[in-house]
Amino acid sequence: MTDATAAATPQSPAKPATSLLQQTERMKKRNAAETRFKYYGVVAICVSLSVLFIMLWTIFSDGVSAFRQATFSFPVTLDAERLDPNGNRQRDEMMRVTTIGYTGLLNDNLIAYLTERGISTEGVSDREIAAFISRDTPARLRRMVIEDPSLLGQTIPFEGYATGRVDGYLKGRVTRAIAELDVNISPAQLDLADRMVDDGLLSLKFNWGFLTNPDASDQRPEASGLGVAMIGSAYMMLLVALMVLPLGVSASIYLEEFAPKNRWTDLIEVNISNLAAVPSIVYGILGLAIFINFAQFPQSSPLVGALVLTLMTLPTIIIATRAAIRAVPPSIRDAAMGVGASKMQVVFHHVLPLAAPGILTGTILGLASALGETAPLLLIGMVAFVANYPAGPFDGGIFDPATALPVQVYSWASRADPAFIERSAGAIIVLLAFLLIMNILAIVLRRRFERRW
Amino acid sequence: MDDQLMTERLVDAQDIKITARGVQVYYGEKHALKDVDVDILTNTVTAFIGPSGCGKSTFLRCLNRMNDTVSIARVEGDIRIDGEDIYDSRVDPVQLRAKVGMVFQKPNPFPKSIYDNVAYGPKIHGLARTKADLDTIVEESLRKAALWNEVKDRLKESGTGLSGGQQQRLCIARAIATGPEVLLMDEPCSALDPIATAQVEELIDELRAKFSVVIVTHSMQQAARVSQQTAFFHLGNLVEYGNTSKIFTNPDDPRTESYITGRIG
Repeated sequence: MTDATAAATPQSPAKPATSLLQQTERMKKRNAAETRFKYYGVVAICVSLSVLFIMLWTIFSDGVSAFRQATFSFPVTLDAERLDPNGNRQRDEMMRVTTIGYTGLLNDNLIAYLTERGISTEGVSDREIAAFISRDTPARLRRMVIEDPSLLGQTIPFEGYATGRVDGYLKGRVTRAIAELDVNISPAQLDLADRMVDDGLLSLKFNWGFLTNPDASDQRPEASGLGVAMIGSAYMMLLVALMVLPLGVSASIYLEEFAPKNRWTDLIEVNISNLAAVPSIVYGILGLAIFINFAQFPQSSPLVGALVLTLMTLPTIIIATRAAIRAVPPSIRDAAMGVGASKMQVVFHHVLPLAAPGILTGTILGLASALGETAPLLLIGMVAFVANYPAGPFDGGIFDPATALPVQVYSWASRADPAFIERSAGAIIVLLAFLLIMNILAIVLRRRFERRW
Repeated sequence: MDDQLMTERLVDAQDIKITARGVQVYYGEKHALKDVDVDILTNTVTAFIGPSGCGKSTFLRCLNRMNDTVSIARVEGDIRIDGEDIYDSRVDPVQLRAKVGMVFQKPNPFPKSIYDNVAYGPKIHGLARTKADLDTIVEESLRKAALWNEVKDRLKESGTGLSGGQQQRLCIARAIATGPEVLLMDEPCSALDPIATAQVEELIDELRAKFSVVIVTHSMQQAARVSQQTAFFHLGNLVEYGNTSKIFTNPDDPRTESYITGRIG
């Protein structure tokens, strides 16, 4: 210590007289720092809110149009001569008339309707008129007729999709400038589309098919839907919930209430935390190696997807459940033990009911993250193009190929036709709706079961 | 202090309920309780007094093996209830705790209805065959705990909605519903106001007719008011054990005297 400080220490500095009505310099500085800190927080929240808003805005502005679809509605005369040449209504023989036959029939009917309504087809060839109708539409008509041959010979009101380009024009995505350069559509066709809209032949209708149809090929974006993806996701969520809840809860109860505290349980604990941080794609590789290559489960099946997602969410759910169990006050355990409850009774009569809201919330949030998970599913083949619905859940549907909502988003986003971009954004909206429902459910359950002690 | 009153309350039944010999408790490396010998009498209130951390609660928790739930705790020595060693490997602590009830420092009713709080113990021990039996047990226990009149019209309401004193009496009702022979109370009044404390103390005195009551308390007045026997613990040792009136008026050990007069603690 130097002399100077030694000399200074004993004397306490003279305290200046202060007034409470006037802030000191120091106080002003402290208040300023506090105000600054408050503004930093407000700025941070504003930035994140605006980013969220921009994200939602882009998704919705791109995606909402996927829920509407340009649809033709006009009467179709089902010419029995053409669709059932032998005239005996035999299913097998009717099957011989392929989609091409129905395409011709639809085209002729459309042209006839245009002539009848006096809609000018100037500058548009018959082939170009035929190109208005989606390739999916004749196939749908064919299915209808084969299922119900009594329709033959009748004139029925029919609704069919227009092609993706016409659909895009009605939604403002395709413009005349683009049509000039596009081999698939010409400005003259767009003029005709305008006249069809004026007539009421062509209109935008709510697109149930987007929610129910299976995926469709690159040439028919208008026919693609989320049906298979939603079934696949639903199967997986169901299976994940069935597997993860008993596994996660029993593991947590054991670790929290029964396990001795030693090196082994410490090791397990550390590893559970580590597993929660493992990138999800690693679980995909694990699933590929174990469930598909080793156990020989079918590829792309919801079962394998669910197993992989279960492994992935298990650590998160164990951590959430253990936290919920630990939050039950020890006094409740003492009380139960004090009246002679066994360990099992303490856990099942007192601890679990009190921890239930936390466990449920954790599980639902874990499921929500599994619902949005894409990477591991890519590796087990769920990114495949699946045009057939899986069977019912008890008819082996969990072994049938399916895809999942986020994977469908990914696969549509990577396709060339801009119509798929719209569908991709639409699928994100559906996915977000499901996530929102699950989160609301979590909040409701927590509120419902929350108890004070 | 009224000596007259104390002589009146002298112990009448001298049967020994619990004998403890050479009890040692270790928490890890810490030697928390050193060589304790105590005999606890039937139909008697025994008070454990002493400064914080002296081992009185630890010893109380040995009597119904609640220390088993603390993984680092190790108990040595010999504790017998009615001559049976409770640390024998054949003894199931769960069965023991039905016989030795416990009331805790902080009222800790289950977050269930008042009825379920009291009925829980009899239910898990299968003490009631029918709903009517259970109703009887619940009513009797609540009556013994002097709570019946206050709650009889709202048995379905949550036990956590009661006032602190009522909660503690509910906990006492819960503890006596299983029909224990010994009732351990770990500072049962420390979270209560003076009126509730008086009610609980009165209750303890009534319970003496049926049970052996062991009570840990920080309040020397309380020990003097409710107990017939008093044990003074200090730094893990049982310093002195004997008749309450003797401990408070004429202690043998100078440490007891200084604690009671407020010089150590």
